[in-house]
Amino acid sequence: MIVTPPILARLALIVFLAVIFQLAFFSRVPLLGSVANLIPVVIVALGLLGGAVTGAVSGFAAGLLIDTMIGGTPGVTSLSLMAAGYLAGRWREGYDIVSSLVPPLLTGALCGVAALAYAALQLTLGVDAQVSALAIREILAQALLGALLAIPVFPLIRRVLRPALVDDARGRARVSSGAMSRGVERGRWRLSA
Amino acid sequence: MYRKQVRRRRAVLVLLVVACLMLISISISQAESGPLHSVQRSISSVLNPIADGADRALKPARDLVNWFDETFDARGENEELQSEVAQLQEENLALRDAAEEAGYDAELEKLAESSGLDGYEQVGASVRMRSFTTWNATMTIDAGSSDGVERDDAVVTDDGLAGIVTDVTGGSAVVDLITNPDIAVTARVVGEGPVGLIVPIVGSNRLDFTLIQGDKEVKDGDELVTAGFSSDETLASIYPAEIPIGAVKEAIPAEQAQRQQVTVEPFADLADLDQVTVLTGGEQ
Repeated sequence: MIVTPPILARLALIVFLAVIFQLAFFSRVPLLGSVANLIPVVIVALGLLGGAVTGAVSGFAAGLLIDTMIGGTPGVTSLSLMAAGYLAGRWREGYDIVSSLVPPLLTGALCGVAALAYAALQLTLGVDAQVSALAIREILAQALLGALLAIPVFPLIRRVLRPALVDDARGRARVSSGAMSRGVERGRWRLSA
Repeated sequence: MYRKQVRRRRAVLVLLVVACLMLISISISQAESGPLHSVQRSISSVLNPIADGADRALKPARDLVNWFDETFDARGENEELQSEVAQLQEENLALRDAAEEAGYDAELEKLAESSGLDGYEQVGASVRMRSFTTWNATMTIDAGSSDGVERDDAVVTDDGLAGIVTDVTGGSAVVDLITNPDIAVTARVVGEGPVGLIVPIVGSNRLDFTLIQGDKEVKDGDELVTAGFSSDETLASIYPAEIPIGAVKEAIPAEQAQRQQVTVEPFADLADLDQVTVLTGGEQ
């Protein structure tokens, strides 16, 4: 991803809107005994499209914003989201997205990682209460709902960030040069015919 | 070139991790009035109008999803509730007759007047935002210090206790729900029942009632209210007395004898909060 000031502004807007949508909408609509978490879905998409640094920085910023708005311990949410964003970016740097199933499946898995990391951090910091085995259900539900949310969210974010994506630019270049050469060949054939 | 990129990536990651750990450390070690919390509050008050707008704009969509959910649940519960209502109406009539015969009317009125909410001002508020995890069950409401809301005020719904105010800005307040692991409430079983401490069970929407007076037995269905416990001038509950909390759901005698604990289901529907009341003032 080529990060120019306009693209940076788009990234910031995506993160901000994701946090607002999460806290004002998704968190207040219970599903499967839990709530869908849009934020790791967006962070994983940014990691997959922009690489490890974009994923980690976006996760850090989103976490800080969340903790500021709902009164959490600053840094805890950032660490868990950074893990998801960084891992998504590292995956993208090592492998190509060969199937349309890859983003939802990877997002589901990394949403689970983010929820697990958050729980582990809270336990490390100390929890003065019993922990039910149902906490695992919350992690699984968030992974499943994350995978489902990624189906519309990943293409949407890809569309918004398209001008900055190196792969898409190469793809467009290939398509246009391919079409041009086909046209020339057809013209030649027509001329010769 | 590739090595340079790797070095840059690692440096950014290390920097962010260190920043997170420093923020956690400062936040835990610092008092609520410290600079970090003040910065958090300032940013929060700047973002409040945006959050308020988003809450209003997204309300129709939220209501639509909740309507589908509630309709689906209501179909299953309808028949069950109808028979329950008929049974309760019969019981109510019988109890009223018995109370009239025994001349309890005046006493009941006196009891209602002397409930623990005397002297508390009630401030209505709408829920603006919710957290997304049971590890940090919080919400923000659209009433703040300008409405008279103060830190440690109790927050209730029509059904019972919902939480406590933990942070206040001019136009909003952060509320820790009773399912938040940072919250503990002194409670007692309605009537002359045993007193104990309620703490949440993380991951479930239930609470754990640990008996302080262990010699009295608690049964399934027993209702719990805030104890408003006060031993002397220095040790007092921050919750007003007599606010309904929940009903005992699993009172296993063996477990109760061994661990002095029973499971409680809250009365307030904490998964679907929209309007709440803040009880402010009174004896804090």
